[in-house]
Amino acid sequence: MSESLRVLVVEDEAILSMQLELLIEDAGHVVVGTAFSAAEAIRMAHETQPDIAFVDLQLRGGSSGLDVARAVRDLEGVMIVFVTANAAMLPEDFEGGAAVIPKPFSVAIMEGTLPYLEECVRRPPPKAARPTGMRLAPAYEARWAAAS
Amino acid sequence: MEAADAWRLTDRLSTEHGMGDPFAAAVRATRMAMIITDPRQDDNPIVFVNEAFLGLSGYSRDEIMGRNCRFLQGEGTDRGAVQLLREAIDARRDIALDILNYRKDGTPFWNALYLSPVSNEAGELLYFFASQLDVTDRVAAQEHTRFEKERFEREVSERTRELTEALAAKTMLVHEVDHRVKNNLQMISSLLTMQTRNITDPAARSAMEQMLHRVEALGTVHRQLYQSNNVERFDVSEFARDLATDLVRGSGRNDIRLHLDLEPVEIPVEKAPPVALMMNELLTNALKHAFTEERPGRLSVSVRPDGDYLGIKVVDDGVGMPGQPLGKGSFGKRLVDTLARQLSATIAWQPADPGTRIDIRLPRKVAELEEVP
Repeated sequence: MSESLRVLVVEDEAILSMQLELLIEDAGHVVVGTAFSAAEAIRMAHETQPDIAFVDLQLRGGSSGLDVARAVRDLEGVMIVFVTANAAMLPEDFEGGAAVIPKPFSVAIMEGTLPYLEECVRRPPPKAARPTGMRLAPAYEARWAAAS
Repeated sequence: MEAADAWRLTDRLSTEHGMGDPFAAAVRATRMAMIITDPRQDDNPIVFVNEAFLGLSGYSRDEIMGRNCRFLQGEGTDRGAVQLLREAIDARRDIALDILNYRKDGTPFWNALYLSPVSNEAGELLYFFASQLDVTDRVAAQEHTRFEKERFEREVSERTRELTEALAAKTMLVHEVDHRVKNNLQMISSLLTMQTRNITDPAARSAMEQMLHRVEALGTVHRQLYQSNNVERFDVSEFARDLATDLVRGSGRNDIRLHLDLEPVEIPVEKAPPVALMMNELLTNALKHAFTEERPGRLSVSVRPDGDYLGIKVVDDGVGMPGQPLGKGSFGKRLVDTLARQLSATIAWQPADPGTRIDIRLPRKVAELEEVP
């Protein structure tokens, strides 16, 4: 068994945040915090040093998940995974983020993505099949391709 | 005789042409204003002027004979045009240009001037011949046209700007609505997921899970439409891959092999939700009932175009139709039948020995408008 991941959930819809929390915990990981706004997320990321942050693009008070990614991208060991209904708004380089899960995602997509991300963090490069419904950032795509 | 009388008007014109020259008479009488100057005299004075020129300029013959032509110029005359004229005269070349001149009463007119040197056979320069045509109307028309063109261009660019802004606003609105639809679908499935966790009764739990799969199938349609950047056409194969992979994974059964035989086939977007729901119903049913506990198996899904039709095949090697409750009266069966009617689809259920084979065929185009009697 692998060491469980420490995950930060950044999502301004309480219902979605709640579901993500449940799905992450069901998969055996730990949610270290749930943030509604970019500022809250950046503060929590520094405090909790999570392995992964699931980040929505549109956050409370008109703040943006891209700002979270910008502020966190140089933080050692924090992998950003966007979870958004607005995947087309992501810049080419994902602002340093590793992947995007477009909304709406099914429970099965999340269940398939978590083990994959766990490999990305704990035992890179990931050997598991790429989950459907998740898209890697071009930089990570190239990194994993070069490593395998 | 008229010819003799007429010639008297050109008495002062000392040319080598003789009296009664019909060409001289023509110059005198033409409606085209003409003058002749003598460059061999000091300051190149006018030595002949015809009636038409007097009419055009408003001067009498006495007022202008012996003077240089520059009295026609005024404050609005383009210095550049005057310079060109001077250069042509010095170089003894002919020249044609439009120049703003002034009548005796001070009113301006646009003069289409043609000036040409006249030399004798020995090549000596004798005269300059000049004809004038009042083209004020033409120049005014040109200016009017230019003004109208500029005004039109201004209006076109203004309108283009308005349309561009309207399009940007519309695109943003579509984006916003799309975003909300997907977020709301996600919320519905979140609520279903969370509620289901607290249900212990297996039948109630199973019903909730079925509802979740239906909502998720619709969610997959919207996610795919948005990703493809084409909101009018929907690729059924791409959807089938996502749906089948998702459902097999969600079933938690590692012993069911999924076989996909997919060829891209597009349908109009309005057909996407019923097709998606129908496929979801058939696949979830097969996963739930065809492969009973401990019975491994194979589920194949084929999506192929068939002329104007779309062909979908779902084949399992499970326990066969008797064990499957998608029979008469079940909600799933009613749902499939109703969706089939909406899509004008035919569905054939056949035993596959072992298992079940379902063949669906539906027209790809939107039904034509029916006339209401």
